[in-house]
Amino acid sequence: MADETQTMPETVTSAKKKKPVGFYIAGSWIVLILLAAVFGWALPAPQWDQSFYDSLGVSPFHHSHILGTTLDGYDMFAGLVNGARLSVFVSLSAVVVGGAIGSVIGISSAYFRGRIDILVTMAFNVMLSIPNLVLSLSLISVLAFSDENHPATTARRVGVLILSLTIVIIPILGRISRGATLQWSSREFVLASKSMGTSNFVIIRKHIIPNVAPAILAIGFLAIGSVIIVEGSLAVLGIGIPGGASWGSMLANGRGNIAYSPWEVYLPAGCIALTVISCNWFGDYVRTTLDKRESKI
Amino acid sequence: MAGIGKAHMRPDGDRVLTVEDLTVEFRLSKDKIVKAVSGISFDLIRGETLAIVGESGCGKSTLGKAILQLPKPTSGSVNFLSTELTTLGKKELRDMRPAMQMIFQDPVSSLDPRLPVSKVLAEPLKVWKRGNQVEIDAKIDELLNAVNLDPSVVRDRRSYEFSGGQCQRISIARSLALEPTLIICDEPVSALDVSVQAQILNLLQDMKDRYGLTLIFISHDLAVVKAVSTRVMVMYLGKVCEVAPPDELYKHTRHHYTRALVASVPIPDPDRPTSSQLIQGEPPSPMNPPSGCRFRTRCPAATEKCAAEEPQLREVAVGHFVACHHPNES
Repeated sequence: MADETQTMPETVTSAKKKKPVGFYIAGSWIVLILLAAVFGWALPAPQWDQSFYDSLGVSPFHHSHILGTTLDGYDMFAGLVNGARLSVFVSLSAVVVGGAIGSVIGISSAYFRGRIDILVTMAFNVMLSIPNLVLSLSLISVLAFSDENHPATTARRVGVLILSLTIVIIPILGRISRGATLQWSSREFVLASKSMGTSNFVIIRKHIIPNVAPAILAIGFLAIGSVIIVEGSLAVLGIGIPGGASWGSMLANGRGNIAYSPWEVYLPAGCIALTVISCNWFGDYVRTTLDKRESKI
Repeated sequence: MAGIGKAHMRPDGDRVLTVEDLTVEFRLSKDKIVKAVSGISFDLIRGETLAIVGESGCGKSTLGKAILQLPKPTSGSVNFLSTELTTLGKKELRDMRPAMQMIFQDPVSSLDPRLPVSKVLAEPLKVWKRGNQVEIDAKIDELLNAVNLDPSVVRDRRSYEFSGGQCQRISIARSLALEPTLIICDEPVSALDVSVQAQILNLLQDMKDRYGLTLIFISHDLAVVKAVSTRVMVMYLGKVCEVAPPDELYKHTRHHYTRALVASVPIPDPDRPTSSQLIQGEPPSPMNPPSGCRFRTRCPAATEKCAAEEPQLREVAVGHFVACHHPNES
């Protein structure tokens, strides 16, 4: 009886395991983008929104424009760094705010069940049945309407963009957290906690959230990826952030020049692709690492 | 055997728990109601181990949870330590919780995989503010020692690092933390190997003696029940069939359902002829139970009377009660 304990194997924590190569590649790209977003202004690069009339459409590896310029003479490198700032800001704020709201709604409706849960599920399903792009497109065209005479300011457009992306994110993360909460709150340790007289608030904080967090975090990373894509698509459709300020916007401006200066398209598209892939990979990694293994008997 | 009545309730003794006409219903849709427990009454005297047996889906676990008011029963009364639980307010009910604890069937699911053992055991103590950190630590060590686990080895480990038997020991330690009067054990050994079952049963017995516990032991395993209980209550489809001390129940089985249950206990002897007493089929749906005696659809001795009239529990021998119109002769 007592010597059962002596035969237990040494604890193997995931932290001691060797990390896969992908972790370093995806990790360094994400760190690079974050650094560019935060400290990009300090880089010795030309102004991103200033046209260099003496060097229109120079190819990359030019002595004063390392990634070349567009046919209109805008510096690609400066544009990409500035785009990183905007993309990171837009996607992070949409996912963090939307994720927080969605998780709170999802966790509490799944934990307390009842009529509210049915309503919440219906609302999530309705929102999820509308394609992301169409939803943000209609929100922006209503909330940030602009025409020749009344152009919407960039700040307003960014604000509306973030708002619409947040609304898109809420049901995605809401449903994930609702599903995970349903699974965990039916576990017997929750019942055991209740039978001890632990309050619902403490049970949610101590038992539900820590167990649900990996799923939310993993999907949150995936959501950052899809938000960046939606932002790019909106820009290409002409209703995103104007003037080449974001990656999608650069792509939209440059796509007509693909025959003359293909880097105008490939560079921002490459940034979007790498960021999305890194986020997806990281999301997967987070999920598998944080999901604590459970022994099955 | 639909089994109603209170003939088996004892008038005197130091009663810990009295359950009367307890009913638990789950509404599935507008006109679909599952009657998981229909009018169960029993009492529990301090120091007793009452075993509740029956096949899957007969309402044993629901009954156990209804006693703890998780969720509250549909009707009936649960009187625990002279306090009526069903009508208590939220706060008063919470104050009663430390005195009644539960151990669950799935030992792994009973423990939060993110928390180390020390936190699992600290939870009830912290919720009830039982002492400062030093006192709580000392109490945790005491509890782990009581269930034969070495505190220095297990304190910082999480549930997935343990075997099922070890997890169940931790669950037992947790249920003991608040020094309860009553522990409801819901199939505590069903998920474990036979060798480990014996250890856990011995441990429960030790803990019972050491802390003066009263136990409700829910099980479908008659061999296990025989080893631990002082009184056995057989349930079928939310009703009581038979109540008796284990030796009496196994020797002089009166109810046809109990007889089928006893006959279904495997005996390790290949030459023994297989019993033809085993009942056939599935229990009827608790949404639409048979009239009269609920067992009549599968009972070899069923007559018209069984369909018309619900049998009452009556005493057939000292301390042996059966709810059947045509009980077996002992």
